Amino acid sequence: MDRAARESLAHKILALTDRGENEVIVFAADDGLTRFTHNAIHQNVAHAETTLRLRTVIDGRTGVASANALDDAALAELAARAAAMAQLSARDDVFPGLAQSTAAEAPSGAFVAATAQATPDLRARRAAEIFGVAERNELWAAGYVKTGSQGITIANSRGTLASFDGTDCGLNIKQNAADSAGFAEWNGNDVGALDAGRAASIAADKAVRSRAPESIEPGEWTVIIESPAFGELISYLTDHFGAQAFDEGSSFLSEGLDRKYVGENVSIFDDYAHPLAPSMPFDYEGVAKQRVALFERGVAKNVVTDSYWAAKLGRPNTGHALPAPNSEGPLPTNVVVAPGTKTTAQLIAETKRGVLVSRFWYIRPVDLRRTIVTGMTRDGTFLIEKGQIVRGVRNMRFNQSILAALGNVEFSSEPARSAAYSYSSVVPAAKIEGFRFTSSTDF
Amino acid sequence: MNELVFESPAQRALETARARGAAYTDIRFEDGRSERIEVRNGVVVTLSDDRTVGYGVRAFYDGAWGFAAGDDLSDAGLDATAARAVAIAKAGAAVASRRFAEAPAERYVDRYATPIERAPSDVPLGERVALLLEAERALHATPRISVGRAWSDAWRTEKEFYSTTGSKIAQLLYQTGSGISALAVGEHDAQDRTFPGDVGLYKAGGWEVVESAQLTENAARIGEEASRLLDAPQCPSGEMDIVLGGSQVSLQIHESCGHAAELDRIMGWEANFSGTSFLDPSLLGKLRYGSDKVTIVIDNTLPGAFATVAYDDEGSKSVRSDIIRNGMLVGFEMSRDTARTIGRDTNACVRAQSWRHIPMIRMCNLNLLPGDVPFEALFEGIRDGVYIESNRSWSIDDHRLNFQFGCEIGWEIKNGRRGRMLKNPTYAGVTPRFWNSCDAIADERSWVAWGTPNCGKGEPMQTGRTSQAAAPARFRKVRVGVGYDG
Repeated sequence: MDRAARESLAHKILALTDRGENEVIVFAADDGLTRFTHNAIHQNVAHAETTLRLRTVIDGRTGVASANALDDAALAELAARAAAMAQLSARDDVFPGLAQSTAAEAPSGAFVAATAQATPDLRARRAAEIFGVAERNELWAAGYVKTGSQGITIANSRGTLASFDGTDCGLNIKQNAADSAGFAEWNGNDVGALDAGRAASIAADKAVRSRAPESIEPGEWTVIIESPAFGELISYLTDHFGAQAFDEGSSFLSEGLDRKYVGENVSIFDDYAHPLAPSMPFDYEGVAKQRVALFERGVAKNVVTDSYWAAKLGRPNTGHALPAPNSEGPLPTNVVVAPGTKTTAQLIAETKRGVLVSRFWYIRPVDLRRTIVTGMTRDGTFLIEKGQIVRGVRNMRFNQSILAALGNVEFSSEPARSAAYSYSSVVPAAKIEGFRFTSSTDF
Repeated sequence: MNELVFESPAQRALETARARGAAYTDIRFEDGRSERIEVRNGVVVTLSDDRTVGYGVRAFYDGAWGFAAGDDLSDAGLDATAARAVAIAKAGAAVASRRFAEAPAERYVDRYATPIERAPSDVPLGERVALLLEAERALHATPRISVGRAWSDAWRTEKEFYSTTGSKIAQLLYQTGSGISALAVGEHDAQDRTFPGDVGLYKAGGWEVVESAQLTENAARIGEEASRLLDAPQCPSGEMDIVLGGSQVSLQIHESCGHAAELDRIMGWEANFSGTSFLDPSLLGKLRYGSDKVTIVIDNTLPGAFATVAYDDEGSKSVRSDIIRNGMLVGFEMSRDTARTIGRDTNACVRAQSWRHIPMIRMCNLNLLPGDVPFEALFEGIRDGVYIESNRSWSIDDHRLNFQFGCEIGWEIKNGRRGRMLKNPTYAGVTPRFWNSCDAIADERSWVAWGTPNCGKGEPMQTGRTSQAAAPARFRKVRVGVGYDG
């Protein structure tokens, strides 16, 4: 569904509402994902849908209804359900009214027509390139190639109207040998830039070089964490910058803003317009997103807000609302970690003894306020000695405070877009001193 | 009883796929309704009513599968989606080096509805909101409670499944759950407590599931425990005997048995994301997974369990089958395709999150059968140990061996008796070693089918609703205090 059709539909739904304030989100998606294992496609899917979300607020009482049927009867039912919910909800005296937004311009490169038009045949050909690299290296590949387009329109009864069209594509490759594996990912907006052969070769090189891994002792290690691993790790810190966690006391930031928590070389932003990850320029209330400094030279500077939490805390609205309703409050969703000055190769060359980590798995918080998390290495873990990668090592579990890690960190000069189902960020590799591995495995 | 609503569009889509060359096609329609109510510090922060209607088509062509999903119920929409599924299968077949075996042949014509006492929609919304407001209010037993939460979820799903082998299956499924949690905040610490279990109590059924959870009756205790944890001593570190509460045993089953025994994972289908498994078919009947106290079964027919249905999402009939029998590995969770590779029949463990999603293997209802001792007897014989309840952190490697769990609350065990409260209990282990250290499981009086509403797997990521029935259990010589011992 194109922008004009979405905007027409949004206004049609608003016209059906007759009580309180109303906000409509029209979201249209058309996505395909080709998944493979053992050098063959095994799950090959596509999905097209338009969903509607209506928030009705009557005298501070909020109800939300959603649907994906677009006929007149379904739209009337949607309006009736949201109003019925609102009438039965409890009044929230803080509710500031729906947002009145100004226009926000989509960043360059957010929508690429070739990505929106990508076919299953194109995805299958990219997958076949990956299989070829795997077979030449006597490996088997597992992963996916995906392409998709998304269009969103947000309109409300206060005159807000915001529309955006974007595309995304990516690949995720794990190359497998009998006792080792290697990982590579690529995420972008332009399918023309998706280089399956290059990523497959990076993953294959890791799998080949980590064959016959040996055990190393748990303990405190110098680690170099490549961007796919660091992107996942940092996502467990950036949620602390949401206004709700800050206010309610579960965030480490409850100790206060404008304090130095990490090293002076650490600056982290939320930036929807970064060239490696151009995305939606407004939030799910239609409010223009601000570029927000989370850490600036080690000092915590801001939390992100939406209209509700801006009013509640008396802070500016930074434009970070999630779709209503949500129990997490506003969150940073376009995290960018400022890079350093040395390449990853230089960071490795300067390491006397350490561990190179390609990817983490199953990170979970252990202690929220102390930002201690646990997780595992996977898919390419290496021992570094005298500045050289010398061999693969068996996987290890870590227990580590992220804040403590960022107190002893040096970033590479090579940012990359890292993404999974729960986060998307632009991050460099990170060299961290004193990283705590607490147990090992037999693989 | 539920009527067939989508038979005509289903036959159109199946015929379109057949005309395009598909050797087998099935189509699954879903009309899903979900309602969530969440109260936070006296404010109803979520009151949502979501409805989604659509269908997913699976087409089999030349040994390859294609899946396409859409919400356009017009003739043109059905034709386009069915054609897309076939085109995707053909694209896969064109680059296939290996092919799936023959298409399914089973045929069922049947109807099923979850037995319920009260449909949530029949309970006035004001009454449902009031119950949660009252429970949340009662959590604020001390001023140190910064956040109180109470929530309920109710899903009503009408599914219709049709296949080119002639299956016509209609199911009306109800799943409901609720819970409460309290966050206490001190000067440099925050501690939370959740009830029941660690995500609430989720079952197949209606509003009676929420009423049975006794949220209000337990809210003040949960609030007080969260506050007392701020002052409690840190759980000690070292190797010791532990007793796990029932909901934690449930999660232990989920992570270190349920996922490990998914045959698609064992075959590498999840290798790039949720991982592989330390198991393989050669270990059936040979691997001593746990002690002889440990018997774990798939039972997707268990009345009231969260994942109970009559048929799975590829049209196979629910059964009960053993996974671990008296400690010995004897089975896996399987689909038709995967079961065929090891010479077995499916045990109907295939589910999709919604019509949008491709069906895949899920652990569904995976139950640890109860033992033969009263709960209190689990503490007997422990000189120095810890009783641990309610998960708040879970992590396990991508072979499902090395795990670490953190829980909300613990109590020391001294000379067979439960003692003072401990905060931040964690424990870690390696899967078969841990399950072989299990020497007692509480009896059926404390056996609960704990539903898990948020199990992640697959790409695109799907959230599955599973269940693991469990009772509290005792484990010997476990590493405790990991994460806080440095």
